Amino acid sequence: MGRVLSRLPSKFRPRLGAVGLIALLVAAARPAAGAAPGEHRIHVTYWDKWIGFEVRGILEVVDGFNRSQDRIVVDYLPTSQIDRKMIVATAGGDPPDVAGLWAYNIPGYADAEALTPLDGFIRRDGGTVALWLARYYPIYEEMIQHGGHVYAGITTPATMALFWNKTLFREAGLDPDRPPRTLAEFNDYCRRLTKRDPRTGAITQMGFLPQEPGWWPWVFCRWFGGRLFDGRQITLATDPRNLEAMRWIEGFSKDNGGEAVKIFASGFGAWGSPTAPFFTGKLAMVFQGVWYPNYIRQYKPGLDYGVGPWPEAVPGVTDFAMAEADIMVIPRGARHPEAAWEFIKYVNSCNLRARSYDEMTGMERVCFYQEKLSPLREWSPYFEQHHPNPAIKVFRALAASAHCVATPDIGIYAEYYREFIAAFERVRLLEASPEEALNFAQKRLDESWARYVQSLQRHGQALPVAITNSR
Amino acid sequence: MTPRERKNLFAGLGFTSLWIVGLVAFTAYPVVASLYFSFCDYSILKAPVWTGLENYRQLVHDELFWKSLRNTLFYAGLAVPLGTVVSLALAVLLNQDVRGRTIFRTFFYLPSIVPVVASSMLWLWIFNGQYGLLNAALQPLLAPFGLAPPAWLADPNWAKPALVIMSLWGTGNAMVIFLAGLQNVPKELYEAAAIDGATGWRRFWHVTLPLLAPVIYFNVIISLIGALQVFTQAFIMSEAANGNGNGSDGNPARATLFYTIYLFSTAFYDLRMGYASAMAYVLFVVIAALTWMATRLARERIGQLE
Amino acid sequence: MPPRRPFPRFLLYALLGAASAVFLAPFAWMVVTSLKPVEQAMSLPPDWIPREYTAVLDGRPVEVTLDFVLRQAGVVVELTGGAEAGRRVFLSTPQAAAGGAWRVLHPVAPGWWHVTERLGERRSERPPLWDIVPPEAIGARLRLRWANYPGALKRLGGDTGEDDSVGRVGHISFWVFLGNSLTVCVLGVIGTVLSNAIVAYGFARLKWRGRDAFFAVTLATMMVPFPVLMVPLYGVFRSLGWIGTLLPLWVPAFFGSAFNIFLLRQFFRTIPEDLSEAARMDGCSEWRIFWRIILPLSKPVLATAALLHFLFAWNDFMAPLLYLTRKSTYTLSLALQSYQSQTGGVQWHYLMAASAVTTLPIILLFFLTQKTFIQGLATTGSKG
Repeated sequence: MGRVLSRLPSKFRPRLGAVGLIALLVAAARPAAGAAPGEHRIHVTYWDKWIGFEVRGILEVVDGFNRSQDRIVVDYLPTSQIDRKMIVATAGGDPPDVAGLWAYNIPGYADAEALTPLDGFIRRDGGTVALWLARYYPIYEEMIQHGGHVYAGITTPATMALFWNKTLFREAGLDPDRPPRTLAEFNDYCRRLTKRDPRTGAITQMGFLPQEPGWWPWVFCRWFGGRLFDGRQITLATDPRNLEAMRWIEGFSKDNGGEAVKIFASGFGAWGSPTAPFFTGKLAMVFQGVWYPNYIRQYKPGLDYGVGPWPEAVPGVTDFAMAEADIMVIPRGARHPEAAWEFIKYVNSCNLRARSYDEMTGMERVCFYQEKLSPLREWSPYFEQHHPNPAIKVFRALAASAHCVATPDIGIYAEYYREFIAAFERVRLLEASPEEALNFAQKRLDESWARYVQSLQRHGQALPVAITNSR
Repeated sequence: MTPRERKNLFAGLGFTSLWIVGLVAFTAYPVVASLYFSFCDYSILKAPVWTGLENYRQLVHDELFWKSLRNTLFYAGLAVPLGTVVSLALAVLLNQDVRGRTIFRTFFYLPSIVPVVASSMLWLWIFNGQYGLLNAALQPLLAPFGLAPPAWLADPNWAKPALVIMSLWGTGNAMVIFLAGLQNVPKELYEAAAIDGATGWRRFWHVTLPLLAPVIYFNVIISLIGALQVFTQAFIMSEAANGNGNGSDGNPARATLFYTIYLFSTAFYDLRMGYASAMAYVLFVVIAALTWMATRLARERIGQLE
Repeated sequence: MPPRRPFPRFLLYALLGAASAVFLAPFAWMVVTSLKPVEQAMSLPPDWIPREYTAVLDGRPVEVTLDFVLRQAGVVVELTGGAEAGRRVFLSTPQAAAGGAWRVLHPVAPGWWHVTERLGERRSERPPLWDIVPPEAIGARLRLRWANYPGALKRLGGDTGEDDSVGRVGHISFWVFLGNSLTVCVLGVIGTVLSNAIVAYGFARLKWRGRDAFFAVTLATMMVPFPVLMVPLYGVFRSLGWIGTLLPLWVPAFFGSAFNIFLLRQFFRTIPEDLSEAARMDGCSEWRIFWRIILPLSKPVLATAALLHFLFAWNDFMAPLLYLTRKSTYTLSLALQSYQSQTGGVQWHYLMAASAVTTLPIILLFFLTQKTFIQGLATTGSKG
């Protein structure tokens, strides 16, 4: 055993010890968290996704709520992947009191019994559910309900409108202040806005491409008048207008050359960056949300652009619109549901007489800071007149529209969405005909829906009656 | 049991006691629970309902299950051999007596330490079809032949190879392990072989490789297990591309729909944890089978392994 | 004695150099991007040099951003009548010819750049100036935006005001995140090195009944995909009361991990059995053999295991995401997520700057552990 003792133990120990000591010291330098001594307020934990430059609005509202009464204090925790974190915490029995999700989560999560219905709280406050819901525009009213119950309050809403690049319009000889009003005009504008490099023939500019931003390609089916779900059955492939929409989508690749479009599109930067195709003059028109002017100001302040309503695709429907919303829910098993409801109520109300920034409360505070519209029908004078979003009137009109649509009220929406995206990709890459793509998706979704219904029955749940008016 | 055997058993259990505690505390319950859930209709938040083999039956008829399995096997089939060869080559190169060896090693290790959030953005950028760094470098090389570089992540046929190439950049970890293994090869053996007239290549083949065999086996198995469960990189990149809370399906055209991504979508977006658990155990069987085959192959070929 | 043919040195250096350039590219790109202003961060086509562009707008030299190139001739005019009087607009030649209520400021030729005054990230009351200028009129020089680094670190904690002031609600300092990460990683490394060496010795150097079967089970635990274990594991930690603390992130490291057990076992097996046999015949206990013989010979692999665990724990955000419930306990890797808003819009320059900062400790650690490797080579003597 004549092995020389290695210097490993003695050499590493002081080093490790030093690093460990430093680590513990730095860790101990953490500021003391928690309530001041003697505070007896209920602590409501609120988890949400707002970070970066959008977080200040929600923090001001949280602060405003905390200062407006002395019974409850809300602790905000920013986190990414909020949906997964909330699900795991709820399953583990440790959910937050309020969690921020998206409106399209509601059907699936409600069926999965992850959410606490708000009806009881509304009635206990002395009103009826219908009266509470009347504060919202109809589309938002529908979004927060499922199976006859209200499950959420709204944090910030959004509607989508048509954005166009006025400089490119001028270059193409089009009136920059007159966007296309009908689908036929839209297609015509696209043709005139498509430019190629005279030497190589490669596409250098296009009027529009349905994959940008590509988050809700299903809206084109609704725009054409098609339905995705009739309350009992999936109607993706059975409604002929969906097929029409897919053919229109296919047209962009087919008419301009599949390969050429693929190469052209492969040079697009991310939508929220200075190299987004709409910012760099590659696409002249895009459908985007109410947050977009804020992003334009961030990344391309010099852009000369216009905002307007959707062109008329179904004859007679001039006010087609799409809406979505970020919501707040009370997970099942939350420790302080009544206090959580107080907070949700505060955020879903506002001071309708506000005449200055500081007088705005609740919903208007958040939406003002994030430059979005308010989902409430009535707006305070200051919010209406001093809103930083230059196109807010357009977005408000869209929210109030009778033909505003949102995601379908179906529990398997996540899967529906993914199947639709897959079909959309196949069609736009010319890898399958629209009929094939839709039929394939329909088949999978039919099976999935049947399984879902069976699963609900297994758990003793009735199939919820779906809201199908505008959804 | 002889007293000697009993003594050895106690010694063995004594040394592995920490691991036994860890297994029982942190691994046993999750594994057994998820195995149970694979036979249930379980949506995480409602109580599980026993359905027997229903989930497994559905798996067999699910096109996406087969597609994701094929995608994963294709990816692993490329990434594992290439990764092993590249990391071994780098380690051997860096084990030579070169000036600035430490600095070179650090260079090769750098890509694997960049945080995934930043690196996935970077890769999306580098693999951009028109202006990415990679194509900017490939363009002048291919132009004389009249070829153009592919659109990588935007092209269903080239998306998986793009991810394989990305994984090669991350071979820093395997390289470090090979380096550690190379330290165990005594210099005298090299000298003895040189005296016998062996050239560089033959020295490598007859001296280095056999002594490195256990380490190669380790890296191949770990690489295989990792490649079959490939998730993080692809997940973040498709989230970055779509930014959506409904999951992504490895588009374009589900070319990068890997098994674990489909599993994750089913578990956390569709809330079908029972089905996802069934998928997990099918993957487990696949991995175990492949590992066993690799071990048998190694045993026959090299002969000194366990 | 035939001379030993050395590997041609220049070839070696050439290979290493080329390979280094390839491997270094992503990291170099990250560092370069961290020194750019946000609008140049992900520019098309890619540009390696962070620049500052200046042009003369309205008679004043200002810093500008380059927006796009105009492909047609036209004029820049100022509207004189109507609701938008005073506003500057670009008209193409046919539109200009059509006439209207404006006055011409200057003509524009194809190939000119549309530039906008750079106001930074502040919200400004007045809209920024813009103009279309010939390429020669744009001054460009190299400018590294070192200010991105403190800006990025401040924003890690969330909620910074537009004037870069720190918000009053819930701002956590970068040092807190760093401290949390260090705590988790250092403790995890200690646990890893200690526990796995002991366990691996049991699998590698001792023969006992059921050893191989147990080892197979150990390997098998690596083969179950993590997503399905997530929910029950959360339940385990919850029943221990560890949710919301850093404990789930480092305590399990003290009980061994399959990966490291496998790694160390393979290395322990390369040490000749005779050493152990000789020691046993001398009457040494297994523990002494382990502590005095095997462990010292395993420096390189122990350093490797330590490094790998540190790296894994340093960059892991999946586990902290699930188990941490207060921002003051967030680790650096989790805080990095705050640049990637789920509502879109990544602050590229800050993300890259913060990422560059988080890689520094690991580079340092890697450098330090390299000494072990080179020393390992030196102390490798005859092994019989």
